Amino acid sequence: MAKSFRNKLQQWLTAKLDLPEDVTMDIPRITMVGQLHVYIENHNGLISFKETEIRVLLKDNQGQLLVKGHDLVIKTILPEELLLEGTIEQIKYIKDDQGENR
Amino acid sequence: MKNKSMIHLTGYLTVKVSGRGLERFINAALREEIAIWHVKRLGTETIVLRVYAKDFASFQELAAKFSVEFVIVDKSGIPFVLRRAKKNAGFIVGLLFGLAILYLLANMIWDIEIKGASPELEYKLTNQLKELGVYKGGLKYFVDDPQTLQKTLTQNNEEITWIGVTIDGTTYTFQVVEKERPEEEEKTGPRHLIAKKEAVIVDYFIEKGEPVVSINQFVRPGQMLVSGLIGKEDEPEIVSAKGKVWGKTWYKTEAAVNMKTKTLRLSGESQVKRFLQIGSVKVPIAGFTLEQYNKKEVIEEVIPIQLLRWELPIAMIEQTIYEAEEVEFLYSEEEARNLAMEAAKKDLLRQLPKDAKIVDQKVLHEQVENGTLKLSILYDVIEDIATEQLIR
Repeated sequence: MAKSFRNKLQQWLTAKLDLPEDVTMDIPRITMVGQLHVYIENHNGLISFKETEIRVLLKDNQGQLLVKGHDLVIKTILPEELLLEGTIEQIKYIKDDQGENR
Repeated sequence: MKNKSMIHLTGYLTVKVSGRGLERFINAALREEIAIWHVKRLGTETIVLRVYAKDFASFQELAAKFSVEFVIVDKSGIPFVLRRAKKNAGFIVGLLFGLAILYLLANMIWDIEIKGASPELEYKLTNQLKELGVYKGGLKYFVDDPQTLQKTLTQNNEEITWIGVTIDGTTYTFQVVEKERPEEEEKTGPRHLIAKKEAVIVDYFIEKGEPVVSINQFVRPGQMLVSGLIGKEDEPEIVSAKGKVWGKTWYKTEAAVNMKTKTLRLSGESQVKRFLQIGSVKVPIAGFTLEQYNKKEVIEEVIPIQLLRWELPIAMIEQTIYEAEEVEFLYSEEEARNLAMEAAKKDLLRQLPKDAKIVDQKVLHEQVENGTLKLSILYDVIEDIATEQLIR
């Protein structure tokens, strides 16, 4: 309960102070350069990694991010950042209600 | 984003990792702050990734914990290159040394050419250049640029009008133009000019003195031509008479030509003999069994044996021996006369001073006696007939 209250407070402050959401909250920020790169900030680790599909866990039970394409390579992976290279075909949010993954 | 320009400085490994749950392994590595990049899937249970050399120990530990296997595929970056270089240090040192020597030799002065200078000046210049650092074996580094060299040399040497300095690779060329100094005139004492032989004056050119003869005048040896006393008769000024007096003189020569002459003529037969010359010893190597000719002409050709630039003391000698015949030859009177006159003229010219000219020739007498043609010829010559006589 306390957590959701904090979340709400954060959301409210962000809205009122006109701050960017990705800075104040652990919302993923995804940057794409054409089909070549995807740059994901604020991730919470890899779930699966194949040449055609990558699943990334997001913070604070926000679910997973699914990236599909081919010849995918993780160019850089840091605790909160991930740069993917290859031919990206789609990006999809997957919400799971169980809260905990795997 | 991460700054990747430092990757090569620190060195990194390319590692092939295989096992189950590789994603979890990567997540764990992130948590341990092991930087990982360029992750590529190879198969269902294999990936290739890159990791810093400094993180490798913790990477190894983590791999053991997750029981994944790994193989190092490649080591890249400067530390590894250096480590490899250390192994081949001898080779690299040799290479660098070789390059250094090449560079040094290319910057050395190998040759100095001084053109257009007299031997004394050349010697002087060579010494000056040595002081300026231009000598064989010197380094170009320590030598001023051509313009400065040119200036210094011109300033230091009065006798140089201009000096051109060119560097052609390892050769310095100095083109010297010396100041031309008028030749110092010989000091001559007071004198007259007198005739040295019988002649008819044709022309004269007097620099100093008073001519006392005129053109077409006949003079005898010892007769005064140019007086060294000039000015008024009662108080004359004494000078050193100088000039040229051209006179026509006569020479009578005798010439004899043997109309019957014997000459050697080659028959066309020839044979070759070969020797090997070692030092001053000749060793025949081919042509031992040759027929002997009565009369022969031998032409010898020496072929030195060279090794690169050096001539060896060994040489091949090729002797071509031509068979010769003696032929008797009879000149006609006309031919004999021409020959005789030609010979006589040559002979006379050899005796005369250089500026003398033969202007006419006359055959005075011609006689054939015992197959020999005898001629006596008179030549008209124009030459300088003046000679000095001191005034006492």
